[in-house]
Amino acid sequence: MTTLDELKRTMKEKLPELDVIIAWGQGFDPLHATPLFIRDADQVEQAVWNPLCVHNLATYLPWLKDKRVGVLVKGCDSRSVVQLLQEGLIDRDRLTVFGLPCSGVLDLSKVAERMPDDLGLVREVDLQQDQVEITTAKRAHTLEKRDLLPTKCLVCQYPNPVIADHVFGEERHPADPEQGRYFDLEEMEERSLQERMEYWKQELDRCIRCYACRNACPLCVCQDHCIAETRDPNWLRQEDTVREKLMFQMIHAMHLAGRCTECGECERACPMGIPVFTFKRQLNRDLQELFGYQAGTDPTAVPPLMTFRVDEENIKDRGW
Amino acid sequence: MSGESGPELRIIGFLCNWCSYGGADTAGVGRMAQPTDLRIIRIPCTGRMDPLFVLRALFDGADGVLVSGCHPRDCHYTEGNFYARRRLEMLKRFLPLLGLDDKRFEYTWVSASEGQRWQTVVTRFTEQVHQLGPSPGIAKECAA
Amino acid sequence: MGEMKFLSADKLTQWLEELSRTSTVLAPTQEDDAVVFRPYDPDRELRLERQPTMPPKEALFPGSETLLQYQYRKDPENPGKQTVEVRESQPAVNQVVFGARPCGARGFTIFDPVFEEGGYQDPYYQARRQSTLFVTLACSMPENTCFCHWVGSSPSDPRGSDVLLTPVESGYALEAITQGGERLLASELLTDGESVREEMEEVKQAARKELGQAPDLSDVPQKLFDLFEDLDFWDRMSAKCISCGACTYLCPTCYCFTITDEPKGASGERIRSWDNCMSYLFTLEGSGHNPRPTKAHRLRNRVGHKFSYYPRLHDQAFACCGCGRCIKSCPVCVDIREIILSAKEHPHE
Repeated sequence: MTTLDELKRTMKEKLPELDVIIAWGQGFDPLHATPLFIRDADQVEQAVWNPLCVHNLATYLPWLKDKRVGVLVKGCDSRSVVQLLQEGLIDRDRLTVFGLPCSGVLDLSKVAERMPDDLGLVREVDLQQDQVEITTAKRAHTLEKRDLLPTKCLVCQYPNPVIADHVFGEERHPADPEQGRYFDLEEMEERSLQERMEYWKQELDRCIRCYACRNACPLCVCQDHCIAETRDPNWLRQEDTVREKLMFQMIHAMHLAGRCTECGECERACPMGIPVFTFKRQLNRDLQELFGYQAGTDPTAVPPLMTFRVDEENIKDRGW
Repeated sequence: MSGESGPELRIIGFLCNWCSYGGADTAGVGRMAQPTDLRIIRIPCTGRMDPLFVLRALFDGADGVLVSGCHPRDCHYTEGNFYARRRLEMLKRFLPLLGLDDKRFEYTWVSASEGQRWQTVVTRFTEQVHQLGPSPGIAKECAA
Repeated sequence: MGEMKFLSADKLTQWLEELSRTSTVLAPTQEDDAVVFRPYDPDRELRLERQPTMPPKEALFPGSETLLQYQYRKDPENPGKQTVEVRESQPAVNQVVFGARPCGARGFTIFDPVFEEGGYQDPYYQARRQSTLFVTLACSMPENTCFCHWVGSSPSDPRGSDVLLTPVESGYALEAITQGGERLLASELLTDGESVREEMEEVKQAARKELGQAPDLSDVPQKLFDLFEDLDFWDRMSAKCISCGACTYLCPTCYCFTITDEPKGASGERIRSWDNCMSYLFTLEGSGHNPRPTKAHRLRNRVGHKFSYYPRLHDQAFACCGCGRCIKSCPVCVDIREIILSAKEHPHE
């Protein structure tokens, strides 16, 4: 029995006790999966499990807090579940977690780079162990899977769910990136300060303030009352300038400091391809260095920014 | 004024009401001369500091931001500055990613009786910001 | 009209430069992962092979625009008295939008009845509308998410454009659709195109054929109306939606906006900016009541507006051009085609 068959069997078994199971199903073309909300047993057959299952289904949990919910999670998604539990935003008793050890998903923007002209013409996708064969109306492409992994998978330390009621599939090993766990930040650091500022100005210029980054984030539960959009207090102007758009990214990143579980959904959701994940990565690296802390790994942990030490080990007096 | 070069820059200071604001008062009463670039905003405690205040100030045209509070262990509200220390250290390490020199932001601890020390802090920080020059330019960005 | 021209592929950049001398030419430009309309710059990468990420919406309807500026002044003789000076802004543009697809240009034919005809004339929109020409590129190959044929359009629909370009071997066939378009075709870089007319028709037909048959949507407006009270249906349709604004802001036909005053001391600006009906805040009232409190309510409104309410008000025209961006760029792949078909096939009591 394949992992997927086992998963489907268990879902069918558990469904009568649950109001809904959130899984992945086939999307609008062979290159896309989509969240699938299973309420009836005959929907279970539609479930899929493969490297196209990029969505962090934990995003839906706070909105279904009062229901008995089953959710499928990869390693990174399970950290979001733990973080939500840590913050009291979901109820462990009403949650059933179906855990899926993961060997990485496909970053469609990297696929697009390699087949820019026919991304919209996909007819068939064959996902193999190390390669992906994509057949479009124009031609067939054979791509190496390792070239298509997003940053978060290249540095993944939690491929196996950190919380699960049922686990399907073999355990995976954490990534060991030869460039180091923060290679993306180190690449930024090779640029001068001025180059970095120009880079962000250029990137945020095409932002359309759709807030997909915010809404895709599992931890952004105040999205309906977000200070980015309220007029009282008025944090952001409505003017379409880089200043306001970059300030929104600051608000988002700062409100996630100590909470972000690096699922990367913010960047994936962006319709304009802006690398907004970078801001959260920076904060997470500082959290690791200053406090040895990673969000979403221990439901009983107290986040470092919610507490303090009278004598801080890693914050030195600045001599002023 | 001591050590200042070029036209006056805009430096915003967030001072806690009890210690640093008192310290600034002490400096004032003692007629201790300081550069006039610093514009002070009084907050009840550095624990009130939201790192976003600093970022908004820098984005809106501030050339430098200073946050000053009670010494750790001496917070008027016991713990406020302990939280602030963590948040502001995180912020300081974050600024370079944006292309902002982290020397444009400092957080210090100055008590109400330390008028002389306040003078030194303001003078030194103003000089530090002047050496960096006016802030590069998110503030001056116009619509796409 | 009816006269055809030909532009050889190696003369494309020359023609764009020529046009740039008298107008701002907005062309699809590669920016990192996205293709957006930017003023033509020969040093930047032009991308014509794929549908641009953003339609040319901002050419006529920018993300934010200043409607007026205001300044409060106090009378020094009488401090209690305050006057306000108001300065209206008037957009002054002279634009050619080059390289949009027919769906992108057609989007504005949905704006026009709302912003120009019938009662209120929007001066900001009109000023831009009257000074912008559309040189549109017909599609030779529809994408998986294209469904322009569902809404009465096609990969070579000329409506909303001034010149229609069809890619042919070694260049483009050009047709003038309006008088403004005819003037653009006077360039010496263009040669007579009669010899490529047949090839052009073949390309257009092949593209249309690739789309296949469209379902009959004539009963959809009534069906959606009948499903208004069925929140269970809308709950299921909206379950995976995350209530962001990607679909709205990328849509060539979405035109909702908000007006806010942005003060700065004693002066400020009144700004019109895009608004998004998928957001909770869209219908949140001052009292705290919200008539569309859930995703189900809001998706019902979005789909209802596009495929039911707007057609009833404006001659059965769907407020949708079938470009498929809402499907492609939705972070969770909500597919409006699925929703329409589900509504159509929903059993009726």
